[in-house]
Amino acid sequence: MLKFIAKKVFYGIVVLLGVITTVFFLFNVLPGDPASIMLGQRANKEAVEAIHRDLGTNLPIMEQYALYLNDLFVVSFHDFKDTESHWYLNPQKYSWIPLFQVSESKVIVLKIPFLRRSYITKRPVSDIIIETLPETAVLAFTSIVIASIIGVFLGIVAAVKRNTFYDKLSLVLSVLGMAAPSFFVGLIIAWLFGYVLTEYTGLSPTGSLYDIDVWNGEVLELKNLILPSITLGIRPLAIVVQLMRSSLLDVMSQDYIRTAKAKGLSFYAIILKHALKNALNPVVTAISGWFAGLMAGAVFVEFIFSWKGIGYEVFEALTKNDLPVVMGATLIFATIFVFINILVDIAYGILDPRVRLK
Amino acid sequence: MLNKEVLLEVKNLVTDFKTEDEYVRAVNDVSFTLHKGETIGIVGESGSGKSVTALSIMQLIPNPPGRVSGGQILFHTKDHRTIDLTKISAKEMRSLRGNDIGMIFQEPMTSLNPVIKCGEQVMEAIMLHQKVNKRAARLRTLELFSQVQLPTPELILDRYPHQLSGGQKQRVMIAMAMSCNPAILIADEPTTALDVTVQKTILDVMLDLQRQNNMGIMFITHDLGVIAELADKVVVMYKGKIVEQGLVMDIFSNPKHPYTKSLLACRPPLDKRLKRLPVVSDFMKRDENGEIIEIPKSVTEAIGSVIITENERKEAHKALYSGDKILEIQNLKTWFPATKSFFGRTLTYTKAVDDVSFDVYEGETLGLVGESGCGKTTLGRTILKLADAHEGKIYFKKQEVLRLTEDEFRPLRRNMQIIFQDPYSSLNPRITIGNAIMEPMKFHNIGSSNNDRKEKVYDLLKKVGLEEKHFQRYPHEFSGGQRQRVCIARALAVNPQFLICDESVSALDVSVQAQVLNLLNDLKKEFKFTYIFISHDLSVVKFMSDRMVVMNKGKVEEIGNADDIYHNPQSDYTKNLINSIPKGRLEDITSSIEKKKSASLVNY
Repeated sequence: MLKFIAKKVFYGIVVLLGVITTVFFLFNVLPGDPASIMLGQRANKEAVEAIHRDLGTNLPIMEQYALYLNDLFVVSFHDFKDTESHWYLNPQKYSWIPLFQVSESKVIVLKIPFLRRSYITKRPVSDIIIETLPETAVLAFTSIVIASIIGVFLGIVAAVKRNTFYDKLSLVLSVLGMAAPSFFVGLIIAWLFGYVLTEYTGLSPTGSLYDIDVWNGEVLELKNLILPSITLGIRPLAIVVQLMRSSLLDVMSQDYIRTAKAKGLSFYAIILKHALKNALNPVVTAISGWFAGLMAGAVFVEFIFSWKGIGYEVFEALTKNDLPVVMGATLIFATIFVFINILVDIAYGILDPRVRLK
Repeated sequence: MLNKEVLLEVKNLVTDFKTEDEYVRAVNDVSFTLHKGETIGIVGESGSGKSVTALSIMQLIPNPPGRVSGGQILFHTKDHRTIDLTKISAKEMRSLRGNDIGMIFQEPMTSLNPVIKCGEQVMEAIMLHQKVNKRAARLRTLELFSQVQLPTPELILDRYPHQLSGGQKQRVMIAMAMSCNPAILIADEPTTALDVTVQKTILDVMLDLQRQNNMGIMFITHDLGVIAELADKVVVMYKGKIVEQGLVMDIFSNPKHPYTKSLLACRPPLDKRLKRLPVVSDFMKRDENGEIIEIPKSVTEAIGSVIITENERKEAHKALYSGDKILEIQNLKTWFPATKSFFGRTLTYTKAVDDVSFDVYEGETLGLVGESGCGKTTLGRTILKLADAHEGKIYFKKQEVLRLTEDEFRPLRRNMQIIFQDPYSSLNPRITIGNAIMEPMKFHNIGSSNNDRKEKVYDLLKKVGLEEKHFQRYPHEFSGGQRQRVCIARALAVNPQFLICDESVSALDVSVQAQVLNLLNDLKKEFKFTYIFISHDLSVVKFMSDRMVVMNKGKVEEIGNADDIYHNPQSDYTKNLINSIPKGRLEDITSSIEKKKSASLVNY
């Protein structure tokens, strides 16, 4: 099992390296000069050059790439004397533990990956991510939990009551749920429950996980979570219902279910003990894929409900060509994807003993 | 029979299945009685209603589309009550299932739940019916596992099904069915998917358990030979009806119904050489209304008319072995990586084919026999370059095959074709069979136009016993035997000279198997083919082949004239293989009846 995990982690790192490379070169061919973004109307030749020198954007592209990788890696190589060098171990950028000194002025350190700074606000991208990511994670996690619990349950019911009115209804609703665009559903839900019915629901159409209260400062507002997480969860819910239904029906036609019946087990014992564990595999894959997808895909929903998550931040950064933020967020999404995939592989091993062998 | 206590009476059972617009009668007016300590063999080809009868008794017919629409199934319980299983509630039935009536299914590979440990799957039934705690159930399971002769019961208890071999899985199934000491054990083709050697041990285990518990066994099979030494009574089913039933000795020595005769005659005999196997149509015809018209003939007559004499065979072999070699195999090794290092370097190998050498002469049928996992299939695939050889040489018509690139090999591939084991999965369900046969022709540029090819396909369909109108049909519309005919036609479409039949008849009923074997032999005569005939069934291989190669663990165990090997096997492995074949000889049946009698005398 350990070897299995080590292998997955190794592949994960290879994937991330690929993503970093792609992201770096992709954003380098995009138009948009950081200097003019940062300076705006005040741009003059000297100032522009100074910024280029500062960011290293005037260097050959391969050197920029090497610098970028060096910034991202946990173990990196630096110059600790020459303050003018791009390799300078700048205490404003990095926090590190020195590992060993290579030469008089060069050192290899262990550090927290440095995601650069926003062109606009000059804040470190990692700060922005640390601030906004939990909000998105909470939102995505709540949606996926709602979607999987309700979805698995409804899927089982649909399979058990196959070809009845309920089954047909669930199919129609699922198709609707899959087809409806989230920005549209989000608006409807915000308007209906946050405005028209607000007297009964007590919910507001917009709001974040934390609200600023005049007296108490920052307060946790869990009820603000309800509407956006439902909106975000509708599509995965629809898919989980249908997937659970078809997977369970498929499993119920297997020979070992007949064996279980021949043993004299009751229908519900068969479903819960013999069928469910087998049927959950494809559902787990779908749920985990969606969870990673929701983190990145929450942009519209966060925008509609003014949820201060990372999607909202990326949206803002994109409109202002704030490349470091966009790149940093992309990398974080990729890391989350890889990480969740490793978790899923481990979950597979637990659910299905046959996987462990391979 | 010494004890006549009745366990189960099936009276005029009728089971229907609903298709789109009508009910199809799967079981039609079936009646038989099972006594305590007795074994009933229910024999018939697939679709004869034998499995449906068993599932009807268990009340496991999927409803819809199926339903038991008539008759009674009377079960006599241990406390002398009589219950009609067709009338009782689902809850009552559940308390009988697994408790009073146990069932074993055909496919041990798929009949166990892959994600639950073997021990738990058995314990579950014990805990359910006997209301005991987990510890007691565990002890009972261990006891059962040693009764069915599983090695290291403690370890198997915690294994998952995929970690066991097919035979071991079937033993777990038997343990499960036996867990609550059922009065009746229904075994639906329990050994069909297993090797003969494993089959023999499984049958022995079942007989043993029967002697200990005095239960009644319903043994369902398509092969009369399997139950010859096992059953007391035989019920022969055909198209949903019982055509004959009686004591095992009577059925084997004096079969009345033409279908029973054909079932007895169509098994490849081991002690004789036949030109062709007698088939069902030698004994009976069916008129337009489906009524059976008998062709009066006895089994001995049917077999006697097709015997090849020793001299005829010698003559034929003389001519054959003075001819050219079509295939030469020298020190062939096919190894698969077994364990790999972290970075993908192979550390150890599984030696599927390990240093095998033999020649095949033009026009010969070479049999390749061995238990599953012996490497025979891999060998066949390696010859066709469908698996990569590790080392060694293969010459096809003096050309070294392994050194050719895929492009250079392509013209040869036309000459070498393979017919696979499973006629169900080797045809694409979305392609009409006509197109499936035509596809390789197009690929190898045979025939000048599509119309020309179509003509050829019609011709081929007729050759393999199908009709022109079948061209536009899809695989699901055909039976297993018909599909295998389609596969044969597809292999023949490119005019090959050399054919590998890889377990081509193993998935078929004996009656259908005989037809396909005859077809292969007829085609061979007509087109002068050379065959490599691969099978785990020594009787089939012996019937088909001139010479035979016995394989074991990737190596050649024995090679030589098929008759010589059968009559005078050199290695213990071959001897065991031959001894395990159920032969269905009258003297064996008599001795097994005697044995049972003396055993029951000891008991009472």
